Order: sequence, then C-alpha cells, then structure tokens
Amino acid sequence: MGILSASGSFTRYAIVEEVTGQIVSELPERLVKFAFRDIDDTADERSFGWVCLDDWLDARFRAAPPEKAHYLGFSLRLDTRRISPAVLKKHLILALKAEKEALRDQGKNFLTKERKNEIKDQVRLKLMARALPIPAVTDVVWNLRSNRVLLASTNSKLRNLFEDHFTMSFGLNLEPLTPYFLARRLVDKAQWTKLDDLEPSPFAG
Amino acid sequence: MDLIRAALQDAVLGQDFLTWLWSRSERNGWLFKAKDGAEFNLYLEQRMSVRGGSGDSVEKAVVTGPHAEFTEAKLGLRNGKRVDKALVRFERDGQTWTVLVSSDDFGLGSLKTPKIETHLEEGDDPDAPFLEKMLLIENCLDLLDELYRQFLELRLSPDWNGELRAFKEWLAER
Repeated sequence: MGILSASGSFTRYAIVEEVTGQIVSELPERLVKFAFRDIDDTADERSFGWVCLDDWLDARFRAAPPEKAHYLGFSLRLDTRRISPAVLKKHLILALKAEKEALRDQGKNFLTKERKNEIKDQVRLKLMARALPIPAVTDVVWNLRSNRVLLASTNSKLRNLFEDHFTMSFGLNLEPLTPYFLARRLVDKAQWTKLDDLEPSPFAG
Repeated sequence: MDLIRAALQDAVLGQDFLTWLWSRSERNGWLFKAKDGAEFNLYLEQRMSVRGGSGDSVEKAVVTGPHAEFTEAKLGLRNGKRVDKALVRFERDGQTWTVLVSSDDFGLGSLKTPKIETHLEEGDDPDAPFLEKMLLIENCLDLLDELYRQFLELRLSPDWNGELRAFKEWLAER
C-alpha cells in the first residue's frame, strides 16, 4: 500500500538498538544488498526484498534515492506464485491416471504412496513454473531522527515477514508499538511493574 | 522484549484506553489539549466495536452508521463489554484526520490525513508530497500518543477511581 494513498493502514515500530552513524551511512548499501530479486524466469514460489519507494520495479534505487530529508523511504515487494487448489487437483488426477495406465502396460497395478507424493511434487512444480508471480508492494518509512518505523500494512503475515527481513538487512530489531510497549516508552521506568500488573478496569461496576 | 507479557497486557491497556477515550471525549465536550498546549477536538464516530468474554465465549458487537449514536455499544458496556475498535476523528486548526484504532495492537486502519498537494510545478522538490504526507501522518500519531500518555497518567494514579466513578455516571445516562 502506498504512503501517498488517501487512506492507509499502518503498523508502528521503534528500533530497539542504538542506531549509530556507521549504520546510517550503510543503509542505502544494505537496501540494495537485501533488495527484491525477480522470479519471473524461475519456478520459485515466492521472493521478497526492498525496492524503490518511487518506482517499485526498481530494485537498485536508481529512480530515486531512499533518503528523503530525515526519512528513509523504501518498499517491501513480495511476489507470490499461487496455484488454485482446483487446478492442482485436476492436473494431479490427470497425472495419476497417466501413471496408472503406464503401470498397467507393465503388468503392475499398484502405485506406492511415495510415488504418489513424487507425482504431486512434479505437478506442483510444473504448474508453479507456468503461473505468473503476483506482486504486492508495501511502503516503509523510517524516521531517522526518532528511529520510529512505519509499515503501511496491518496484515500479521506481512508484518512478520517485514520484521524478519528488516532485522536480517540492518542487524536491528523492531519493537511493535502495541499498547504495552508504547506505554513503557511513555511512562517512567518506576511505573513499569504497575503496567505489568494491571487488570481490566471494572467500567460497568 | 517480553512478548508474552505484552500479549497479556496489550488488550487490557488498549481496551481500557479506547473505552475511557469514548467517555472522556463526551464528558470533555470533545476537547483535548495537545503536548504543545494547543486545543484539538476528538470524536469517536461512525464505527465502533465492543467485545466481552474470553476464549471460546468471546462476544463482539459492531455498530456502524454515518450518524451512529452507539446506543447498542453503550448497552454492551453496561453488560461488561469494552471498546475493541473505534474510528477516531481529530480536528485541529480546520484540518481533519480519521483513523480506525484497534485495541489489541494499536494497528491503525484507514488513516486519512488532510489532503496534500501532489501536483508538482517545475523546480519543486520531488519529495515535497511525501514529506507533507509524513508530517500529517506524524501529527496524527503525536495526538494519539499524547491522549494515550494522558490516559496512562490517570490510569496509573489514585485518581483513576474518581475517573471510574465519572465513567459510571456517564454510562448511566440515556
């Protein structure tokens, strides 16, 4: 989802570690190192990585640099190949029929479980290579002054993928700013045990 | 990061906050103060869900409508439910933001900022729309954080009992 869209959904994070000048200077290089890699010409089920915020077809950040004033803006691109279960079922039945006929010609009529699984894998791989990867792009903005990060999605699977890839790319961990973690950042440390022990308030009496 | 502790306390804090915010906004005449002392308005409107129970017996009621008065949601509160999600509208200096806040993780849905100028003239900074949009998004997050800070200050102080009494009076109205 685009940061410039009229309406957007967001998840907020704070970076746990101190972000040194050394790390900041390496960020553009690391974005390229962990950039998106195309799978159009392979049979891979999925691929993900960073792309340019201004042009999601650009994984080399040539269209525009990620640095925008005190922000670093980039996008997470995730391409996924999907096979409809009905299509897989059809081609599996066809492949099994063909296999059974071949066996019959050899005077056999028993198909082992292992062979069935092997055929299933082959069918899946064949269909996967024929399916076009579906791209999905989610914007990310890192405020380099506050070291807060905004992901333009609230989808939990995407959040997990983003958090892992962020840590892998920059060697930094993200703390999601959920009610508990945000509260710890807004109140004195002396109050933290109170936060841990809070019970739901008896609003109704 | 204590993720288990967080998972337990997120819903407690988030639901307490949104439930308080609804009552407090109506009791305040929808007026709050930002960190810099400037006043802004806050309304909970159009969409709200309340939730009660736990595990398999969780019950949720979603109330929507362009001019919803949330009578059903208030009934839910009287039955022990708490606000689970709310569409919040901020107004400051003639500008409007709306955002759907989830109590469990503070996920922000359908965040709309005041409109930005995306048309660029020759010589304009190509990043200008992005920077303006970020400023507006962060303005909204700052207001939300300040409200949450005000809530926490009350929630962790002995004044919370007085706040609960005022809440119950508000809940008994209508």
